[in-house]
Amino acid sequence: MEKSSDTLLYTRIREKDKDALEDLYDRYEKILFSFLYKMTQDRELAEEALQEVFIKIWRGVGDYDDSKGKFSSWLFRMAQNSAIDLIRKRKKPTVGLEEIAEMPSAERSVEGTAEWQEEKEHIQAAVSQLSAEQQEMIQLFYFKGHTHEKIAELSGLPLGTVKSRIRLALGKLKKTLHGMQGKGAYDE
Amino acid sequence: MNNELCDGLVDYLNGTLSIEETREFEEHLKTCEDCREIVDATGQLPYLSDQEEPPAGMKSRILANVFEEEEEPVPVVSAVEPGKTDIEMGRAPANPELTVTPVTDRKRKRVWWTPLIAAALLVSLLGNAYTFMQLQNEQPAPAEPQTAFQSIDLQPSEGFGGGATAAVIEQADGALNLVVTAEQLAALEGEQIYQVWLIEGDNPIPAGAFTANANGEGAALFNIENNTEEWDTIAITLEPQPGNESPQGQVVLSAGL
Repeated sequence: MEKSSDTLLYTRIREKDKDALEDLYDRYEKILFSFLYKMTQDRELAEEALQEVFIKIWRGVGDYDDSKGKFSSWLFRMAQNSAIDLIRKRKKPTVGLEEIAEMPSAERSVEGTAEWQEEKEHIQAAVSQLSAEQQEMIQLFYFKGHTHEKIAELSGLPLGTVKSRIRLALGKLKKTLHGMQGKGAYDE
Repeated sequence: MNNELCDGLVDYLNGTLSIEETREFEEHLKTCEDCREIVDATGQLPYLSDQEEPPAGMKSRILANVFEEEEEPVPVVSAVEPGKTDIEMGRAPANPELTVTPVTDRKRKRVWWTPLIAAALLVSLLGNAYTFMQLQNEQPAPAEPQTAFQSIDLQPSEGFGGGATAAVIEQADGALNLVVTAEQLAALEGEQIYQVWLIEGDNPIPAGAFTANANGEGAALFNIENNTEEWDTIAITLEPQPGNESPQGQVVLSAGL
């Protein structure tokens, strides 16, 4: 999932190259589906969200350029937003804090591509540096797709507190990832 | 946090910003390294997911839908006369080996389908019927059918290679529709047309007509005003031109009712 080749594919997609879209699909199908399933806990909903993502890309909705960060981050955020939309439309019953699954532990063995595994170990190591509360914030905010208003409601914390804690958690995640990069553990 | 625009980060990642606010924040991203790095860092989080096997056939479904959105094909259907669904005009020289069979020669071999096949056919027939109704724009769109109480295979006359099936579908409002689908049809010539007839004794009435498309397929839908109990035969003839009130051509397919 090299940045340069992703961007190249994206440029071809914008020129309505169907093969390029298919290549991009093949490249990200499994990670996107797995991620969307993690968010929705529903295979059909995950497929629907994935389809939304590729329809948007094909139509050129939410144009990507380098200023928006890495292509994969942009793609994942688009997928996350699609899933959030579907989850909110379904209006599933509120999940209580105590029912929220914990972040996956570093010990859990997961089979898969070496690349995915490498990324996973890397991000797991960074997440493990966060406090339990910060991990929970990321879980609720990122994977459950809850708004900070919703998290405030669930946790009983003031809105401003929730927002700043999310920001702090994300900031620390970034710093940890960067620190690891500095030590040569991470090649972008 | 560099400035107040950084406040928008959480909402941006959460997808709760308006389009205008999103554009504004993306402008901010260009100059704020801190926010951009956080956005990229969250882009690593999906890798925490456990690997999930994608559903079978998902790729072809999704790609088909993506590209379909773009092309939005318009179905090529034209109605030449009431009761006729002309899926595609694909005409070629008629089959010279076609033999003449009198209308009275009824090769009746009733075939009752298994419920499963009948149900599958019903769905596909309804699709045809619905398209037809919309095109004709003369009748209300059919409601969910209550019964398909007869589904019959028409038997080809000697020398004719095609096949056809007929079904009578009762709509919720009690209206009856005769739906005929045919395949492996001989191509037509000039104004020739396949005409469906419902026959009571020696009295045939026209009940829809169709032509063969390039794949040798055709379909017709006919609204039955009178009870089907009175009909004893359904037949398809190859007529020299459309609009005949009584059969002039030979019977190519038929079945007893």
